[in-house]
Amino acid sequence: MLKVDNIHIAYGGIKALRGVSLNVQQGEIVTIIGANGAGKSTLLNTISGFLKPSRGTVSFRGKALPKRPDLIVRDGICHVPEGRMVFANLSVEDNLLMGAFLRKNRKAVAEELEQVYQIFPRLAERAQQSAGTLSGGEQQMLAMGRALMTDGDLVLMDEPSLGLAPLLVNTVFEIIGKIHDLGKTILLVEQNAFKALAVADRAYVLEQGKIVKEGPACDIAADPAVKAAYLGAESRAGG
Amino acid sequence: MAQFLQQIVNGLSIGSVYALMAVGYSLVYSIMNFSNFAHGGVIMFGAYFGFFAMTLLKLPFLAAFALSFTGTALLALLIERIAYKPLRERRAPFLYFIISAMGASIFLENIVIATIGPTFRTYPKVFSRTAIALGSIAVGRLDLIMFFVSAISLALLVLFIEKTKMGKAIQASAYNMKAAALMGVNTDQIVMIVFILGGILAGIAGVFFGMKYTVYPQIGNITTKSFVAAVFGGLGSLPGAVLGSVLLGIIETMVAGYLSSQFRDLIAFVILIAVLVFRPSGIMGKISEEKA
Repeated sequence: MLKVDNIHIAYGGIKALRGVSLNVQQGEIVTIIGANGAGKSTLLNTISGFLKPSRGTVSFRGKALPKRPDLIVRDGICHVPEGRMVFANLSVEDNLLMGAFLRKNRKAVAEELEQVYQIFPRLAERAQQSAGTLSGGEQQMLAMGRALMTDGDLVLMDEPSLGLAPLLVNTVFEIIGKIHDLGKTILLVEQNAFKALAVADRAYVLEQGKIVKEGPACDIAADPAVKAAYLGAESRAGG
Repeated sequence: MAQFLQQIVNGLSIGSVYALMAVGYSLVYSIMNFSNFAHGGVIMFGAYFGFFAMTLLKLPFLAAFALSFTGTALLALLIERIAYKPLRERRAPFLYFIISAMGASIFLENIVIATIGPTFRTYPKVFSRTAIALGSIAVGRLDLIMFFVSAISLALLVLFIEKTKMGKAIQASAYNMKAAALMGVNTDQIVMIVFILGGILAGIAGVFFGMKYTVYPQIGNITTKSFVAAVFGGLGSLPGAVLGSVLLGIIETMVAGYLSSQFRDLIAFVILIAVLVFRPSGIMGKISEEKA
């Protein structure tokens, strides 16, 4: 469904991505794990069209992606950005409706809104509140709900559990499962490698702008080097 | 008391025109985070467009008025395409935008001086100069029309921004351009719409300003005061821009009426400095660090 082929990205003199290739098949949950600064967000921002690779291509359903971010959304890729980026100056409901900006079918949008409220009952309770008044966890729900409203088939998620309390982290991962059950394909970038590998089908390990390992999530989770680097404390804590 | 009310009425009238200008500054600031100093030049062109439409083309007032704000909308858009779009594409620092804006402003002023000349020109008479008596106060017809047209224009703008899908997209982009793009909003188009809206209001303000005073190449400098009003109200906030403008208009006419008109501009800039020192976010502005 998504094919990233040998992309290179440099900011100034720093090479953030050095020949990254990966693919995501329809219906999969694929995770990219890696430390801070490994290039995970850069990769998602390149797929979404905010960064132009100096080399390499990204194709979606066999076609090269358009150049502008809004056209990429139209093609069916939605992106839950790092730091949530909800519109704090708009109400919760207006945030969700912004997600449906490109959609013309009002009935389908109304149904989608109902569905999002079913997945995130908290958002329904706070529909008329300004999004700026939500807690961090609620803002993450809103960012996810807003992305669902775009009706994209591929959902990119950038660190959805970042900065959330452990209990909320569990909720976020449950929701990722629910979104997958809706038939969405998911590309998940996470620092919480333990949780991400538990939910994913396949995984890539990104280090200093390069993919150093790839494979089924369970194999990656069992890999001694990965365990040492990314799962150390968490695998003990999680049992 | 009569004089006080009279000053309030005069202040509201001039304040409403400041509001048209200030909203143009605020709209662009809310989306692009810089103060578009070329806006004054666009307002000046609005005054000239209306003047020449009436004198050279002999158009009736309403047609000249429409021609003027159509022209300024296109001019504002053209400035965006030439002076700002290349900077946006390169993600240039805000300072570059301000420098580009000042360059555009100087260019607009000088091209008028070089082609049309520096002389002051007076609009042909459109409205009768006899004032309408409201009890003990007298309201000029032009002042009354200025106030109502400004109020209606601003109300339409608010309606557009609050009630339409595109308006919501403008609000979303003002808060976070990247997140708006992730919703499928073409942010380049949003920037264009914002410049067109600011340009329309600039044309309306330019014609009124030209009619109330005169038309000359430095008329754009007066709009610096509408910028003061926008800062006073809180840059980036539309209600703030309107409130700041009306307050500034009233303060100015009060100063001119009770002290001396020579103190008028002095007071306006003292207010600007005081706001910047004591409340940089203005009356209703959002507090933000990375904006210039």
